[in-house]
Amino acid sequence: MNSANYLYLSAMLFTIGAVGVVIRRNAIVVFMCIELMLNAANLAFVTFARINGTLDGQIIAFFTMVVAACEVVVGLAIIVTIFRSRRSTSVDDASLLKR
Amino acid sequence: MSDTPVLQYSFLAPILIVLGGAVIGVLLEAFAAAKRRAVLQLTLTLGTLFIAFLSLLRIRNLTSAKAAMGSVMIDGPTILMQGTILLIAFFAVMIIGDVDNFTAQASAVPGSDEEKSALQAGRQQTEIFPLTLFAVAGMLLFPAANDLVTLFVALEVLSLPLYLMAGLSRHRRLFSQEAALKYFLLGAYASAFFLFGAAFLYGFSYSVTLSGIHAAVIGGTANNIFLLIGLTFISLGLLFKVGAVPFHAWTPDVYQGAPTPITGFMAAATKVAAFGAMLRIYYVTFAEANWNWRPILTVIAIATMLVGSIVAITQRDIKRMLAYSSIAHAGFLFTGVIALNKAGLAATLFYLLAYGFATIGAFGVITLVRDSSGEITDLNRWAGLGRRSPKIAALFSFFLFAFAGIPLTSGFIGKFAIFTAAYESGNIGVVVVGVLSSAIAAFFYIRVIVMMYFADDNGDSLTVVIPSPLTSIAIWVSGGVTLVLGVYPTPVLNAINTLATFIR
Amino acid sequence: MIRLSLEIGQTQKPEAILFYILAPLSVLAALGMLIVRKAVHSALLLAWVMITLAIFYIALDAAFLGIVQIVVYTGAVMMLFLFILMLVGVDAPDSLTENIKGHRATAIVAALGFGGLLISLIGRATLNHVSVGLAMANEPGNVQGLASLIFTQYVFPFEVISALLITAALGAMVLAHSQKSAGARLSQRALSSVRFRGDSLANAAGLPSSGVFARHNAVDVPALLPDGTPAKNSISGVLTARGDVQDSTQYALGSLPKVDDESGDK
Repeated sequence: MNSANYLYLSAMLFTIGAVGVVIRRNAIVVFMCIELMLNAANLAFVTFARINGTLDGQIIAFFTMVVAACEVVVGLAIIVTIFRSRRSTSVDDASLLKR
Repeated sequence: MSDTPVLQYSFLAPILIVLGGAVIGVLLEAFAAAKRRAVLQLTLTLGTLFIAFLSLLRIRNLTSAKAAMGSVMIDGPTILMQGTILLIAFFAVMIIGDVDNFTAQASAVPGSDEEKSALQAGRQQTEIFPLTLFAVAGMLLFPAANDLVTLFVALEVLSLPLYLMAGLSRHRRLFSQEAALKYFLLGAYASAFFLFGAAFLYGFSYSVTLSGIHAAVIGGTANNIFLLIGLTFISLGLLFKVGAVPFHAWTPDVYQGAPTPITGFMAAATKVAAFGAMLRIYYVTFAEANWNWRPILTVIAIATMLVGSIVAITQRDIKRMLAYSSIAHAGFLFTGVIALNKAGLAATLFYLLAYGFATIGAFGVITLVRDSSGEITDLNRWAGLGRRSPKIAALFSFFLFAFAGIPLTSGFIGKFAIFTAAYESGNIGVVVVGVLSSAIAAFFYIRVIVMMYFADDNGDSLTVVIPSPLTSIAIWVSGGVTLVLGVYPTPVLNAINTLATFIR
Repeated sequence: MIRLSLEIGQTQKPEAILFYILAPLSVLAALGMLIVRKAVHSALLLAWVMITLAIFYIALDAAFLGIVQIVVYTGAVMMLFLFILMLVGVDAPDSLTENIKGHRATAIVAALGFGGLLISLIGRATLNHVSVGLAMANEPGNVQGLASLIFTQYVFPFEVISALLITAALGAMVLAHSQKSAGARLSQRALSSVRFRGDSLANAAGLPSSGVFARHNAVDVPALLPDGTPAKNSISGVLTARGDVQDSTQYALGSLPKVDDESGDK
């Protein structure tokens, strides 16, 4: 086996994540699909780090993890806020902005 | 062991000052008395931006250099873009300072008793100010970033506060929260594409610095397929951010839902930062690989100009209309990017400055047109505004003229410069489409003006509130800058021309 | 030129075995994420994908990242996701009806094209060197190697990331922390004077407890007053606001089978 297989895996996971964002309607699941895409990108970085023989790729992957953690906090805070408003004002699933 | 890193603080001073101000703002949230917090925060924010601008002026004549171990590139375009961002942010904060636009308590459920009591208690969400400063710091760093790590981190630092602030509108809070969610999800989606592209550029060039990638591009021995994948995905991420067709779907919804001062700030300053980074990436790194991206970007520029201008005609909401107009303007800016010459760079920088000020002013005016339930953005209800408050209506018309590119406004000079640059680069088709869509765009701007002045007054309850001193300063200064840049742009154009050279 | 798909960096056999077992499983789990209806199941499948990626990182000479992946992603990020899912309600399955007709089919076709193109492009890629491997870069140790890069070359973005962390904390506070107005809470003394010196002494001994004795004692069933009407003040205000109050008249004695009949059987 060679290292390129990791790149195929990364491309597959990225594609699956990208489709998930488009076809799922639950905001939390959509967000999880975005996390999957970030993970796929990280796998590509780590693989390239080994192919290239430098640690820069691993550094970026590390930074991405920190960034993703921050993004999750903000994203979930927004989602919870929306959930609370919707529930008490009984606005149904339909999007308000898309009329 | 490795050597101690040298950061060259004087070059980083503007960014560090803004970050420092933001951190002090967070501390103020914790320790200052609630009553005085708003005033303190506003003073701190404006002061921080002012000092950062001064420190930027100090380094304007320094020979350009890398700072922070090569992570940041301080060259002429960086200084121009950082200056533009700081100026725009300064006046945007003046409008943000008018707290009537923001929710009293973001955590309270819309329509709940908690919200009512928070409104009665006159509570304010003063966290907006440090959040704005964080966003500004990210925007300052984004066009200066010189490697993929810094680029990605800066992108997130500028985006996260904007996602949050988009959801803090006082009126129509459900809209606003939904706008925040939409902006967040699509923004994060775009970042994921950006990151995936960055991974392949790293695989392509064995380097994460822009100069390293450039060396691999001109070296020509590296793998072009990785270059293609990397370039495509990184461009996708950036196109999302600037709202280019076909990735523009979020723009109208977010612009409409977000609190109007934030919309103005977002439209003006984010565009500068995103186009700044885009200019650096395409001009510095991929100029020699332009067979890869120029044709596609040309198509996108044409589509963006046309879609923005044509769809804007059908809009009945002033904020949505300006959102589509901002899409069209992104198309005009692309025209400068794909010119790929010095004139194109200088014209784009000038256009960003001109568009930024007109946008701040226009959205500032929109915050003033209200009735008892909040801002009125329905265009039909603006009918007859020109007779009721002639000064404000005249100022708004002037901003619309600038968007349309009528002579004696900054928009005219900007469009002229950018189309000239495109013409010089031999891209006649784009120039033709650009002029055509400018003409289409002029139609709907002028329709608004006609509506304000010549339509029958429908006896609506809408009023133009008397602006707070800061808001009126911001609006009138924006109007003044738009006029000066339109009448006597030579000094600014000269300054931009001397500074507008990227260093690798 | 070296065909990437053929010749770069042949790995050791154990790694190949690991890959061929775990990679299909992670792809299946990722696909499952899109198919399962409940968000919690999606989250668990994603956690599995992340764990397999952590194992791959360790196999790819990135031991530190592998551990961080488990600690940060599966440990913190996914727990946060699960926590929010529990808060929002685990039971609500995702609606599978389409908003736009043919939208899903189009998306899947586009994805197949997109993924196929990406994979075939990677397969045709060439490199002008063989895989270098990280033996040299990791020579002082993976963690030491990363640390010396983070604290020299990448020290500035590393510092700027702190802005991101502050933003996240601040944002969560803004959106989720409700500052109750000070002074709104009554003191013990004020509370008891309201209770005993108020208009009536009806509630002086405490509010009635919920439930109809021996028939139903859940908190969402109002107590029945002697005249058979439900006592509204026996239910928490939160439940009333949410509309989660049951009709307790169905448990009233009048609707029960005669006591005599039951005792007669015994």
